[in-house]
Amino acid sequence: MFPVLGVQGDKALRHLTLSPDIELVDSPRHASVLLVAGEIPADRFEPLRRVHDQLPYPFTTLWFRCEPWPHLENVTRIDDLDVLPAALVTAYHELMEGRRESSPRILLDKPPNPWEGAGDFGQGGEGMMGGVPYGRPMAMNMEDDIRDGLTLDSLTFRLGPFFFAFPPGMAAEITLQGDLVQTWKTQRAPYPQSLDPVFFAARKRLVPIAALELARARHHLYRLFHALHLAGLESASLSALRLANNLSTTSTLDGLRRYLSRSGFFRLAAIKGGELGPEQARRIGGPAARAAGLDEDLRSDDAGYRRLGFSPVCQASGDTRARWRQVLAEIDQSLQLARQAERDDVSTSEVDRIETPRGPWLEKRPEDASALLDEILPGQEWGDALATIASLDVAAVAEAPLDTQTTGESPITELSDDEGGPA
Amino acid sequence: MIVEELVLPVLMVFFMLAAGAYTVAVLDRVIAGALGTPQTGSVWIAPLARGAWLMTQHANATEAPDWRAWRLAPALYLSLAAIGLAVVPWSGSLVATDLVTSVVLWGSVEALATVVIFLHGWSANALFALIGGYRYVALGLSYILISMFVLIGVALPAESLQFTQVVASQEELWNVIRQPLGLPLFLIVGLGMTFWGPLNLADSADLAGGTAAEISGPPRLVWDVARAAMLVAFSGVATSAFLGGWLGPWLPGPLWVAIKMLAVLLVLLLLGRLLPRLAPERCVTLMWVILLPLSFIDLVWAGVGALL
Repeated sequence: MFPVLGVQGDKALRHLTLSPDIELVDSPRHASVLLVAGEIPADRFEPLRRVHDQLPYPFTTLWFRCEPWPHLENVTRIDDLDVLPAALVTAYHELMEGRRESSPRILLDKPPNPWEGAGDFGQGGEGMMGGVPYGRPMAMNMEDDIRDGLTLDSLTFRLGPFFFAFPPGMAAEITLQGDLVQTWKTQRAPYPQSLDPVFFAARKRLVPIAALELARARHHLYRLFHALHLAGLESASLSALRLANNLSTTSTLDGLRRYLSRSGFFRLAAIKGGELGPEQARRIGGPAARAAGLDEDLRSDDAGYRRLGFSPVCQASGDTRARWRQVLAEIDQSLQLARQAERDDVSTSEVDRIETPRGPWLEKRPEDASALLDEILPGQEWGDALATIASLDVAAVAEAPLDTQTTGESPITELSDDEGGPA
Repeated sequence: MIVEELVLPVLMVFFMLAAGAYTVAVLDRVIAGALGTPQTGSVWIAPLARGAWLMTQHANATEAPDWRAWRLAPALYLSLAAIGLAVVPWSGSLVATDLVTSVVLWGSVEALATVVIFLHGWSANALFALIGGYRYVALGLSYILISMFVLIGVALPAESLQFTQVVASQEELWNVIRQPLGLPLFLIVGLGMTFWGPLNLADSADLAGGTAAEISGPPRLVWDVARAAMLVAFSGVATSAFLGGWLGPWLPGPLWVAIKMLAVLLVLLLLGRLLPRLAPERCVTLMWVILLPLSFIDLVWAGVGALL
């Protein structure tokens, strides 16, 4: 199954990852079922049509918490996450047994622009040098190499908003020379991400620090889950996800940390580069800023946290490797604070200055920082670039909290309805 | 004559292709399950169900691919795996083709694999497939060089380039002990050559499947089977070159070969699941700066050993 993630669609992805009946794939070419998870904004309809038509026959589509397009026939909408895996399996079996017809193609099977090559193999012809056959730039040697002077044909392409390694909703125009990113232009910002309701509650009233810190640790573990999948450490990725789903004050990170260290994640994997300067780090804030050595954390201003002896942990180098070390340290710290806070029954003392896992929330929620990628990624190899993106939490914080009632990801604390609303 | 020299060897290779690919699929699933991947159904049926699913799926098209090359590449890779399996001896007499230059033939399989993998990536006329192909070409030479030095090392004591002679030369002492650097180097090279696990840079997750990102249906089935079969062929060569092939007490020779091949496969598949994917740049450094000099030392060690 290939997931197309809409707004808050990542919850469905995490749920399905742990479902033994579902095999998730990273390319639509490898799927027989397309899952549209979450509401897709209208400006992403065109890419969705293109992804839809890439699935090989026979295939079918399910829409999860998203209204199917009216012109599509034989589509299923599911709203309950608990029944989603079974619905996907049923759709697949019906498709394989011929009881369900394959979805039709939406787009015409013809190039958006006519090919103008004159030769036997489509080569040559007027305007072809530097031209844009099929509406896309040709791979050709147009730019000097920015790394070692070995100039290769540069290849410009657009990727997203449903590429699995990007934050959901993000799209970019990229120029590569070989494996090296020459230019990066973020064209669409990722969808704003929803945080746990406890962070919204903390903006209204004093909340138990234990709840806040468990939610923070869980947020970071979900990011780690994605990054480890990208790094090819599937079992560690699943461990991170399971740990996040079952997080409590008795949880520890020791096993996962030991495994990451022994497997060579910090030494061997493609997590080189991605350094942030102090100004860039400040623009994104949160753990990324602290990984760059900025000693800034609003929890330091909170009397409740001071009572627990909180002081921010920091790294120095500000690169991708430092950010993951920072994330692990912050998860550890959060679990420790949660244990202490639960034992001593400590709550926050500030409501208008809270540190979210995404960064500081003062007057405004943390804003989108995806434009920062345009500055950081050029010069990196492809694998390192994707690892850098995974290590940076660039999406803005959404106005509404995470919908936890039907996601299978139970909230850390029971909050009444009015507590979960936007600040 | 025809039966013994053509029909039986061909049948033997076909059997090894099918049984080997199936074994890899089962073992990998067992290991994944043991490491926490949620699974349902029987591990014995799952590879067959997957094969049936791919057979029902259509082979898709990309925009203006090089059709002939794109369709041919998986079949060529499967053929290379078959050639590799054909030179693996199961006993002194049970070997599909007992060429006097079988070590050289295996070397040519490694070299031609580079061409075929690049062809697979390039012919799809798609971005990630192309990058996957480029990556393999950039790294393939370093794998091949190390592999050749290590294999020359095992040919020296045998004074032959024939795998049956290489096995026979290990009657007194297996090469895994005689040349302690050889097998570890060869296993790392094997992961690279078969682009598996930590050295799967051609068909990697960051490229959404790399050279295989755009294929579906029967071509994907052939490609998957070919990759698994190449891993089996590699484990067969490692068994013959370092683990004494059919040599061993009590059990019949072919059973010893099967047990040793399974052990090598298990190590490769476990490494594939336990280690992160190496960054391409780090991989090049590892190969040229560390492993290649080590393979020189291995060769000198083997040469001195052969002289004494």
